[in-house]
Amino acid sequence: MTSQFPRLFVWHVARYARRHPLLAGLNVLSVALGVSVYLAIQIANHSANQSFAASIDLVAGKANLEVRSPGGGFDETLLPKVAGAPGVKAATPLVEGYATLPKFPGEYLQVLGVDIYTNLPFATFAVGGQSAADWKDLNLESWLGDPQALAIAEEFARLHGLKIGDPLVLQVNGHEQTMIVRFLIRLTDTAAGRGNSRVAALDIGWAQRLLGSNGKISSVQIILDQPREAVAMAAVLAKLVPADVTIAAPGQRSGQVERMLASFELNLGALSLISLLVGMFLIYNTITASVVRRRQETGILRAMGATRLEVQSLFLAEALLFGVFGVLIGIVGGTLLARFLLGREIAKVISTLYLLVSVDRFSLTPLLVGSAFFFGLGSVLVAAWLPAREGARADPVAALSLGLGTTSEKSRLHSGRWLMGGLLALAAALGCSVAALTSGPAFLGFGSAFFVLLGFAFTAPAATSAGAVAVTRAMRFMERRLERVGGAKAGAGSRSPWSAGLTLMSLASQNLGRSLHRNAVVVAALMAAIAMTVGISVMIHAFRRTVEVWIDRAIVADIFMTPSANETLGNGAFFPPEILQALRNEPGIKAVDTVREIGVNIRGDRVSMAVVEGEDRDRLAFVGGDAARKQSEFHRPEHVLVSEPFAHRYKVKEGDKLPIPTPDGVTSFTVSGVYYDYARDAGVVAITRQNFVRRWHDERVMSAAIYLREPGNVDAMAEEIRQRFNTHGEFLIFSNQAIRTRVFEIFGQTFRITGVLRGIAVVVAVIGIFLTLTTLVSERSREIGVLRAIGASAGQVQGIILVESAMIGLLASGLGVVGGLALSLVLTFVINKAFFGWTIQLSFPWETVLLTPVWIVLASVVAGWLPAISAKRTPIASAVRAE
Amino acid sequence: MFYKITCLILWTLIGFAANPGVAADPQGEGAWQQALPGWTYRFPEDHAVHPEFKTEWWYFTGNVQDDQGRPFGYELTFFRQGVLSPDTEAELGKGTQNMGRFAQRDFKFAHFALSDLNNGKFYFTQKTNRGAFGEAGFGGNYSAVANGNASSAGQPLAWIEDWSLVPQADGAWHIVAEVGGDVPMSIDLRVLPLKGPVIEGVDGVSQKAAGSGNASHYYSFTRLQTTGTLALGKSAPQRNVHGESWFDHEWASNQLGPDQVGWDWFCFQFDDGTEMMLYAMRRKDGSVDPVSSGTWIEANGHSEHLRKEEFQLKTLRRWKSDRTGANYPVEWQVSVPSQQLSFSLKGRSDDQELALPLISYWEGAIAAEGKRAGRTVKGVGYMELTGYAAALPGLQNGERTAETGRGGGGR
Repeated sequence: MTSQFPRLFVWHVARYARRHPLLAGLNVLSVALGVSVYLAIQIANHSANQSFAASIDLVAGKANLEVRSPGGGFDETLLPKVAGAPGVKAATPLVEGYATLPKFPGEYLQVLGVDIYTNLPFATFAVGGQSAADWKDLNLESWLGDPQALAIAEEFARLHGLKIGDPLVLQVNGHEQTMIVRFLIRLTDTAAGRGNSRVAALDIGWAQRLLGSNGKISSVQIILDQPREAVAMAAVLAKLVPADVTIAAPGQRSGQVERMLASFELNLGALSLISLLVGMFLIYNTITASVVRRRQETGILRAMGATRLEVQSLFLAEALLFGVFGVLIGIVGGTLLARFLLGREIAKVISTLYLLVSVDRFSLTPLLVGSAFFFGLGSVLVAAWLPAREGARADPVAALSLGLGTTSEKSRLHSGRWLMGGLLALAAALGCSVAALTSGPAFLGFGSAFFVLLGFAFTAPAATSAGAVAVTRAMRFMERRLERVGGAKAGAGSRSPWSAGLTLMSLASQNLGRSLHRNAVVVAALMAAIAMTVGISVMIHAFRRTVEVWIDRAIVADIFMTPSANETLGNGAFFPPEILQALRNEPGIKAVDTVREIGVNIRGDRVSMAVVEGEDRDRLAFVGGDAARKQSEFHRPEHVLVSEPFAHRYKVKEGDKLPIPTPDGVTSFTVSGVYYDYARDAGVVAITRQNFVRRWHDERVMSAAIYLREPGNVDAMAEEIRQRFNTHGEFLIFSNQAIRTRVFEIFGQTFRITGVLRGIAVVVAVIGIFLTLTTLVSERSREIGVLRAIGASAGQVQGIILVESAMIGLLASGLGVVGGLALSLVLTFVINKAFFGWTIQLSFPWETVLLTPVWIVLASVVAGWLPAISAKRTPIASAVRAE
Repeated sequence: MFYKITCLILWTLIGFAANPGVAADPQGEGAWQQALPGWTYRFPEDHAVHPEFKTEWWYFTGNVQDDQGRPFGYELTFFRQGVLSPDTEAELGKGTQNMGRFAQRDFKFAHFALSDLNNGKFYFTQKTNRGAFGEAGFGGNYSAVANGNASSAGQPLAWIEDWSLVPQADGAWHIVAEVGGDVPMSIDLRVLPLKGPVIEGVDGVSQKAAGSGNASHYYSFTRLQTTGTLALGKSAPQRNVHGESWFDHEWASNQLGPDQVGWDWFCFQFDDGTEMMLYAMRRKDGSVDPVSSGTWIEANGHSEHLRKEEFQLKTLRRWKSDRTGANYPVEWQVSVPSQQLSFSLKGRSDDQELALPLISYWEGAIAAEGKRAGRTVKGVGYMELTGYAAALPGLQNGERTAETGRGGGGR
């Protein structure tokens, strides 16, 4: 028999697929959908990391060490000190910055100020004239002597139709500067080439002028005599530079970024796995269907001497084959999904919330393909295992005998066990939650979410069975009541149409209970999808409400103004001081607050520090209250505040000392309080401007918050400011209302991906209903034939199926809503807290939650339509042949 | 000396690479001061940098020998090429915060070569530095020297890292250059002018091509007593050397005509105390440009301009470079009828080619022997041959070569 296996397998699969193309197709599709979503998220995450790594490679691809300040720049006179140190073979300075392009809205360029005298050993790109072939083609006089001469990436030029000699207006720090495209850049290093087309370069001398960073450089790249001694050399060189300047291998920066994005990406990854989970329910269903339909076949096989293992292998192999097709389609789908939908959204969110990244290329690595196969086929195997075993265990004699199936009774017996399992899973969820919040690790939060889903899924058999029994009993009760009423009116024997309807309902609910093992699975699948929808909706709603409350406190100025580059680039552009002064002199303006963001190095991470000046300080809400005292302490020298996520991440509490490297040396700052903040999940350290300038000697600010003398005048004043200072769109000017809207736009953007995933889960679940009912109808064709033979009309048969599907929808949404609420507690209080340290005030979007059952039931009825029609058309004669 | 390679380097680096349509120099030529007739030389002030002109160089060459009589030739040249036009500079605001230390006004570079004449070996190197932290630059306060303030001598006139040219209080110069690597080499020489400066050309300008401004300001010290040390090779000792050098200082803003492809330049120090400088501008069609000229210097320092018609140059032998494929005329027959002078000259070794990135030229020690007014004269000197190898092999292509011929105009 074993030697026959391949032939048998081909016959087994091919015939089934030919006879039931729709089911086979759905089987493939359910794997494909799950894999697509999983892969799309993975590709997008991977590409974002890669493109950031590429931007590091672009400037530091060949360096052993990199001198850099998390604050952005440092004194250029450090260059000769470092470059002249023993053991340094080559060193080159770089000035880096970003510019936006008013002519190309939304576009930006990473501007590199390069020193061609020292850069060649480090160069990952070549600059040239027409061809950009290599540096030898460079017009040195123009490069060195023309302050307007700019080199842009060939790809960027092609994309925007720019030619040598074309003017290109750049906007930097609120000023417009016209440059001329004189050279093209060709990326020569493949690593640096990935996804890096937004690159411009010019001579370092003119770059300082363009970027307004005279006297400062952004980094020094170093090649050592002994590259292996990089760590030791870093320690030696560190003694030559101020405390806020770091010397490290360039790769360390991508490590920092990966750590910063880890929570965000893990969250997305976990969500994408849910789509695989929902897919597993579907696979379970289809394989079960296949097993049931071929009971006779397997009986024959077993009778002819096939072992159980062989039969089980046959079904597993079938599942795997469909799985392989599903994974292959999923790989294509995932790539497309990443490219056109999720990828750019994810890049946008990362740029908005974390750091500027542009993902131009989505790369599919062998590792990603491998993981798609692993998770895709792994989920297929897990999901198909039980049904395949069930098929193999079928007693050949029973399987070969004609007549109704007998599996239903068995599964009813099991529902109690499932329920116990469910309770255990919920207990596990509780345990995981406690562990995630106390001892960690944070990813146990996902374990908690998983167990909640699992727990509610395990209650599905009991709930379905109980639901079926309850409806049946209710119908019978009503039937008896009707009979009594009808009997009084019309005498015995005659049946009202009401009564017929009740019988129908009763039949449908009995059916539901009888095919419990399959119906329970579809209820569980749909439940999981609904629970996810509800859970995520509640979490987003609660989060949004919390942010609203926070914003009410945090955003009180009348007008907000920032260089427009900060919209595209994140906080990178500085506010021109002369305009700030002009605003303060304006008679209609009462006060101008400022804010600035700078990176500081805390425990090896680059952390945002907010430098605040003005009224803002009085509006913070503190963990543990006592705001007045904490506020006043904040203004004392060497004091800072930290945000709640920061406190959570670095385990810092009020009164702790926090050492922060400053240009004057490492200073120990006292944490005067922990405040609520929802702007940055990585955490923020806040410092007053006065305290900042004392240590950093840097007066620049990035944004201004303007308070008017007559707050009623906002629109007129905003317009006046716009006309005076914003002739070229150098600034973004928001009214209080507009900035709130903007905040929620960003909020919405952040959760858009979640929404897409949620939608896909629901689609998968609805497909599940369709699949299940189709299976049930074909399985029950004899039963339907009998019903028709004893006088049930085609419409009544159709009705039975539709009622049944509506009941599946109703049961699933009942369980799903409850499960979803439980899940929302986990998402809000466990996952958000454990990963980001956010305190979110729980509130429920009751409308959405309560409407869920309505549209789920409707969707279920729609999904049941086709199977119901096919049931209606079941030919009576052939169906009852066996009876 | 002559336009030397500066022009060629900048042709290649600056002029030719640019797309003709775009090459429209962002700095209009008018921004730079032109070398026009009527220039009055003032010494020692004119030894110092002339930043209002675009191009400038200080050029030392010499034939020396060590105490055992082993002969060497040397070349050390500091070049300045202005890249930021005075117009742009004025626009930016001179010396204000608009120009940081990295911004370049001049491109600074230097060439150093040694000829080991006993074995025919030749070593050369190029150095360049941005000078953002004072590692390279030009200076020298000659008014202070002239006023007898000796302490301000000793400040370098030109330097790139540890290569430097430092004027001394007694009118001598101290020149130093050193390189490491596979074949370390160094010179540390004191060169003392034995005659006063010789103004080359007519009316203060040395014409290089037809047209006003296509000229340079150019003076030479034609015989400098040279003493100091020289080292060549790994763990080779520093040897004391002595001999004679030639110094050129030349500055200009544009010099070459569109039909010129290169030049042959010579200087001679004869054993009767006389010197001579000759140059021939070669044109595309193979002819010699009529502006070619020379200078004859008497033993007493008196000098005489030599027009093109007053001398003849004839190639006797060529040497082909394996490195660049250039075919250099390394032996010549020279006659100057007005001085009753006729002699042959040859490179003291064939291979004295500087094959540098982007530019290759021949610059080397020569020996001359012939008759002057019936008496035997011998001499040594230096010869410069440019335009024979357009560029290094990797860079040679038809388009570039064509550009080389054409693009020099107006630069």
